[in-house]
Amino acid sequence: MIEFDRVSLALGSFSLNDVSLTISKGDYYFIVGPSGAGKTVLLEAIAGLHRPDSGRVLLRGTEITALPPEKRKVALVYQDYSLFPNMQVIDNVSYGLRMQGMGKKEARAEVAPLLERFGIAHLADRYPGTLSGGEQQRVALARAIAVKPDILLLDEPLSALDPVTQEKFIDDLRRLHREDGLTIVQVSHSRREAHLLATRMAVIIDGASWTRGRPVSC
Amino acid sequence: MKTETLSGDPLREDDEGTPSWWNGRWRRQVDWCTVWFCIMGGLLVGITVLALANIATTELADPAHLLKVAASSQVIESILLTFGAGASAVLLLILFGTPLAYVLARSRPSRFKGVVESIVDIPLILPHTVAGLLVYLLFMRRGWLGAPLSEIGLAFEDALPGTIIAMLFVASPFYVNTMREGFEKVPVHLENVARTLGAGTFTAFRTVTLPLSLRHMYSGALLAWGRAIGEFAGVIMIAYYPFIISTLIYYSFTTDGIHTSRSIAFTVILASLAVFYLLRRMTRYLGRYDDRV
Repeated sequence: MIEFDRVSLALGSFSLNDVSLTISKGDYYFIVGPSGAGKTVLLEAIAGLHRPDSGRVLLRGTEITALPPEKRKVALVYQDYSLFPNMQVIDNVSYGLRMQGMGKKEARAEVAPLLERFGIAHLADRYPGTLSGGEQQRVALARAIAVKPDILLLDEPLSALDPVTQEKFIDDLRRLHREDGLTIVQVSHSRREAHLLATRMAVIIDGASWTRGRPVSC
Repeated sequence: MKTETLSGDPLREDDEGTPSWWNGRWRRQVDWCTVWFCIMGGLLVGITVLALANIATTELADPAHLLKVAASSQVIESILLTFGAGASAVLLLILFGTPLAYVLARSRPSRFKGVVESIVDIPLILPHTVAGLLVYLLFMRRGWLGAPLSEIGLAFEDALPGTIIAMLFVASPFYVNTMREGFEKVPVHLENVARTLGAGTFTAFRTVTLPLSLRHMYSGALLAWGRAIGEFAGVIMIAYYPFIISTLIYYSFTTDGIHTSRSIAFTVILASLAVFYLLRRMTRYLGRYDDRV
């Protein structure tokens, strides 16, 4: 589905060196590695937020190296969820649809079932600053799903949650992957999360030294 | 069992001569650091208060003269001209300074960025007459920009555009630097998410970054406006006429003496206080989300 062909990229103290990987449709692709290894930079490069210094990015065989993020049909959920503080929950979730040209009312109506599904319908009129970590994370996920992305990118989405909320979120992610058939790429420190969710995984160290394969239960 | 009885005057002095109320709750609650900070800060505020009290006492002693001066068309027109020219300069700053502040906030540190930041700060460090001279040399009839612009009918010497451009020049660092700080406070992650959700660079800026920087925009505009309407030396170098309020006070001082110029000054103080008070009050309705970023 999306292929990195010997991609190199320098971004301040972070860099990717000659990285090649292939993410197929329906994969739950885990990228694990220590802090500062370049995991988030890689995720942002998949999203098109950084243009590689060298190498190519291909989507279904077509080169998209210079394609801007708004045209890639990928959605990104950061570790801190990055909800828009100036918008109510419902406007956060419907933001992507509005960017596709939908009217405000129509977009709000469109995402109503999604709010129900993620159990955040009662929070529709609230602002992100008044939500708990778990609530923010469900809003962020609903916002990303609302645009029906080809690939969902998750940047350590579980790290800021308590263990109980983590378990619930892992179930949500599993359902998104299995029932909705969504292609997901997740970066994480946690091998446990990888074993619970991943269909394929890779290890990144210092922006390179890749090991790829399928996760094996410990 | 022995019991002690509390009795007597609670305000009585103890053995060392200090009142009992002082040895109790008050003494425990006084933070001497804060007290000294208040005293030192109070001295600074005191100078302004004393200066205002001084002019107010003198002016209010002769209200008839004050009213006559304050109601004169020359003073009213000059105040309106000053406030209007300042507002025009701020509008131009918002138009051109906002993109510059955004680029400075989002670009990575580099030698070029450092040079641009230094150029932005130049009006801060220059004597006002030098700033005025720079504006004059550039916008005079034979100046690099003044010459071609005068050919299309835009004159700067002794004209309102000259006043506005001088105000814009000296006020620009106040707006650009405040706005840049505002943009820096908005995490780039928010823009990244907006981009992946389908927003182009400008749409992400318009729908996410700008609304989250409104309070800084307002504060920067207010600071710049205050700086602009207070400018004198920078303005007279290129536009002695039309009289902005600083020029009118100076003119009045050199021709009519202290009596009239003081009354004009007091009128300006009252008008500025009223306007700034109202504008400051409006900040509470702006940028409600800035603190949540």
